[in-house]
Amino acid sequence: MSEDSIRELVAGSLERIRAARTLEELEAARVEVLGRKGALAIAGKEMGKLPPDARAAFGKLLNGAKQTLEQSYEARKRSLDEGALSRRLDGEWLDLTLPAPGPRRGHLHPITRIQRELEELFRSLGFAVLDGPEVETEYYNFDALNIPATHPARDMQDTFWLEGGNLLRTHTSPVQVRGMERLGPPLRMIAPGRVFRNESVDASHEHTFYQLEGMMIDRDVSVAHLLYFMKTLLAAIFHREVTVRLRPGYFPFVEPGFELDIQCLICGGPGCPVCKQSGWVELLPCGLVNPNVLRMSGIDPGEWNGFAFGLGLTRLAMMRYGIDDIRHLQGGDLRFLEQF
Amino acid sequence: MKFSYNWIRELVADLDCAPAPLERLITMKTAECEGIEPAGALLAGAVIAHVETAEPAAGHNVTAIVNLGPLGRKTVVCGAPNCRPGLTTVWAPVGRKIIDGVESDGMLASGAELGINKDHSGIIEIEGAPGDPVPGCAPDSIIEIDNKSLTHRPDLWGHVGMAREVAAILGHKLVDPVKPDLLPRTASRVRIAIEDLDLCPRYSALEFDNVKVQPSPVWLQYRLSALGLNPISNIVDMTNLLMAELPQPTHAFDADKLSGDTIFIRPAHPGERFRGLNDEDYTLDASNLVIADASGAIALAGVIGGASTAISDKTTRVVLESANFQAASVRKTSSAVKLRTDASIRFEKAQDPANTVRALARAVELLREISPGIRIVGGVADQMKEMPAPPPIELRLEWLRRKLGRALEPAEVRRILERLEFGVAESKPGVFLVSVPSWRATKDVSMADDLVEEVGRMIGYDSIAPVAPLVAAAVPPANPERKFQHEVRDVLVDLGFTEVYNYSFVSEEAVRAFGFAPEAHLRVSNPIASDQALMRASLLPGLWHNIQENAKHRELFRIFEIGLEIHKREQGLPEEVPHLAAALFARQGDGAAGLDEIRHAAECLMPGAQAQPAAAAPCEHPARAADLFWKGERVGRVFELHPSLIETGRAAVLDLDLDRVRALAGAAELRYTPIRRYPSSAFDLSVIAGLRDPAGELQSKVRSFAGPLVESVEFLRQYSGPPLEAGQKSVSFRLTAGSPERTLSNDETTAIRARIIEGMRALGYDLRV
Ligand SMILES: [Zn+2]
Repeated sequence: MSEDSIRELVAGSLERIRAARTLEELEAARVEVLGRKGALAIAGKEMGKLPPDARAAFGKLLNGAKQTLEQSYEARKRSLDEGALSRRLDGEWLDLTLPAPGPRRGHLHPITRIQRELEELFRSLGFAVLDGPEVETEYYNFDALNIPATHPARDMQDTFWLEGGNLLRTHTSPVQVRGMERLGPPLRMIAPGRVFRNESVDASHEHTFYQLEGMMIDRDVSVAHLLYFMKTLLAAIFHREVTVRLRPGYFPFVEPGFELDIQCLICGGPGCPVCKQSGWVELLPCGLVNPNVLRMSGIDPGEWNGFAFGLGLTRLAMMRYGIDDIRHLQGGDLRFLEQF
Repeated sequence: MKFSYNWIRELVADLDCAPAPLERLITMKTAECEGIEPAGALLAGAVIAHVETAEPAAGHNVTAIVNLGPLGRKTVVCGAPNCRPGLTTVWAPVGRKIIDGVESDGMLASGAELGINKDHSGIIEIEGAPGDPVPGCAPDSIIEIDNKSLTHRPDLWGHVGMAREVAAILGHKLVDPVKPDLLPRTASRVRIAIEDLDLCPRYSALEFDNVKVQPSPVWLQYRLSALGLNPISNIVDMTNLLMAELPQPTHAFDADKLSGDTIFIRPAHPGERFRGLNDEDYTLDASNLVIADASGAIALAGVIGGASTAISDKTTRVVLESANFQAASVRKTSSAVKLRTDASIRFEKAQDPANTVRALARAVELLREISPGIRIVGGVADQMKEMPAPPPIELRLEWLRRKLGRALEPAEVRRILERLEFGVAESKPGVFLVSVPSWRATKDVSMADDLVEEVGRMIGYDSIAPVAPLVAAAVPPANPERKFQHEVRDVLVDLGFTEVYNYSFVSEEAVRAFGFAPEAHLRVSNPIASDQALMRASLLPGLWHNIQENAKHRELFRIFEIGLEIHKREQGLPEEVPHLAAALFARQGDGAAGLDEIRHAAECLMPGAQAQPAAAAPCEHPARAADLFWKGERVGRVFELHPSLIETGRAAVLDLDLDRVRALAGAAELRYTPIRRYPSSAFDLSVIAGLRDPAGELQSKVRSFAGPLVESVEFLRQYSGPPLEAGQKSVSFRLTAGSPERTLSNDETTAIRARIIEGMRALGYDLRV
């Protein structure tokens, strides 16, 4: 074989390799040229017939041709492989915009959400979260809170009485008493929970609602501390600074007792329908714990004192989420509940 | 409680504060105001008018010419039937307008229009000189105070008490309307016999004759009307005025209707009958205190007077009762007879016994004006309990500073207390001995803490700067029950369940639908409605209701509730058990998928929990109910709601006792075990069993023969159909055997396998191996 015919062979084979459209065509081309019985192998065998001085040059030529063709073959094979893979993968196309199967995530009740938020907040401030029974004795619901049977303050709370003389707690305050008895001073506690009042239900009244009772007992607790604490707490609840004011309020278990108002968050003070034009919204009752209450729970009021407050969780949830009808909260309607 | 601004102005010297700022001051320092309402607006500029002529006009109207004295004459078209020449009435300047072609200037007004009384049958008939203002009647502002904020303040149920607060707040003087010198010093004719001085600490009375029962003067009618009370007659109106002023409830008996000369204050006889002024009949018992004469009960003490001795037009002699009754006794009687009156509401707050004779002195002055010619008969009858003044309260100013969190000048504390009429003596530097005035001493102020409030509210709580409390850092005690419930909520919400809250009350009907016995439930004595009379002993009736309601607009939904089951106990408080109830409703399908999903939820909450077939309750699908066991304990139930309980669709239900689940969840502490170094080997076994043989039971049986070297027995699949016989199924399990110390030999595995096969065959099961 002449050098020229080798060059011709290379050129022709390169053309075949490049033109191969399938792995089979490429393989056929490879076998013809680069195979054990292919053209280059035959040419190699003929090399022995050449004069010794020409052999080296011819050998070099053959090697070069082999390399060129092998590279071209590998390149073409890679390209054909990749094409095959991408065609197979393309066939596996999926519509990822379809909704994911399986149930959507469910929803926590709005009161649960608010309650948890407050539980976490109070725990971070070192408060224990306590629970008490929903069915209470007269003692824990009234007497131990300085509300004896003949006290007119009992009229302030329309009570559900149960056969046998117990009652449905009218506030979460009994948990204060149970907390003081169980844990003793110093004490920082909250008690969120369900309470009951015998009231007809309408858009803004419920016989079943939720409160969060809070109490702190320590050696030296003052009105100034209560104010600080309430401001801190309310700033965390409303996610902004709030202006508060205390005014006298009567609750037998505190002395002095206060109503705490916050400056209206809607109008900021000048007056609007939400605050009935007063600039203030009544938010929670609070006060310094009445020494009689401490005494009844076995705490020496000469040594310890404290403050207590009651937060309406139901009211807070309604304020937070703009719920205009209290009946939704216990209505079980998913069209309402799924909004939270 | 309503307060007349005009009246307060009469009682506070030089009051220079308008109603609106006054209302704010009262709210900030004394009690919560609920608003201000105008009263007697038409009285602005109104004057006495003399009707000179009244000519018939269109319809029933007349055209009247009225003489207003210095203001001249006005022509007024008036529709009142009593508008006639010679009448003296009231003209109000409401402007000119043409009526029936006549220009009418102003109007002639009825008592109701003027706000003086409720009479709108015609224009008011009155005495006075034309052009004069209506005596004692001027436009007023009525300040409404929230009754709840007065619960502890007996004195604030009358204008004098509120005026005293206003005077203290503004630093003015209180004008006391009572002139004690008006009381006669002679002996009384009326005799008083109090049986129990604890129930009636004081009873005072004064007799009058030459009484003339007639309408009250307009100022008195107006004063009562402005407060929402009905003027009735001079005597009754006078008692109402005393109540609104001092605030001492009093009662006038017609002396001619009394039997004997002694008034008894005693417990009612059992079964004693009494007819009240309201014409209601009451049957009393010994817990009710009555006022009685020789013939029987004539008043229910502190609540209501009796019909038999009531004042009438013919009354000429009156015994005026001014008494003090024990708050608890009045409250008990008032709630027993279900009658709350203005008097009982005041007595319940523990009124000041010193007020009884003060009210009589005030009555003397009023009666002389409103029943001219009236005469006092004898002196004041007055029987009372010995009531030593309570000891003064020691107020340490340093302690006061610590309570308020603000320093105060001793002089300021003294000034505040003295303005409120507390007595202040300095026993040593920094310590005050504070004596409490009688009207604050009955219930309200008895300890130093009460004085903290007096000082605090008067300096204004806004003068106290917030201070961070110094408290020891401490990790609060945990609440594992609550934490666990929150975790359960999160799992369920992640699985697509939405939380509902249901009432704690259930109806008998719902309870019966679930096959529970109503009598096993704790009953509410005063339910809000008859269908909310039982306390729930299961969350399921509530959930059932949610399913029915939501099925109206949903094809598929998942809900859950965490709440307390309330179980009646023989004694003490009921047992309250936290439960989780979850339900999955699907309108389509045969319900199997729902049960799978709800069992999956149970598995997520309690890995490895096992269902065990159990007899179905009435609310459960008879062939789809099981107990749930976890770690060997029964923790709840999984079932399909009985299809007859819902209109269409299926509902799978899970009901768990969360106390038990929590106890089991928390029991095992996590410990690491080393990963096995020797390979284990697996093999499968298929048990041929009856179609309804529970796979769970087969699995436990296989397990029971497996021995300690078998690490796990897992359900693989089940199959029924050819080549199996009808009524049979094949249940396949994969068993994995191994040892932490070595690799098991083939012989060992074969032996295990053979033992299981033999064991199962002995129980009557065929095996495909
Ligand atoms: Zn506002």
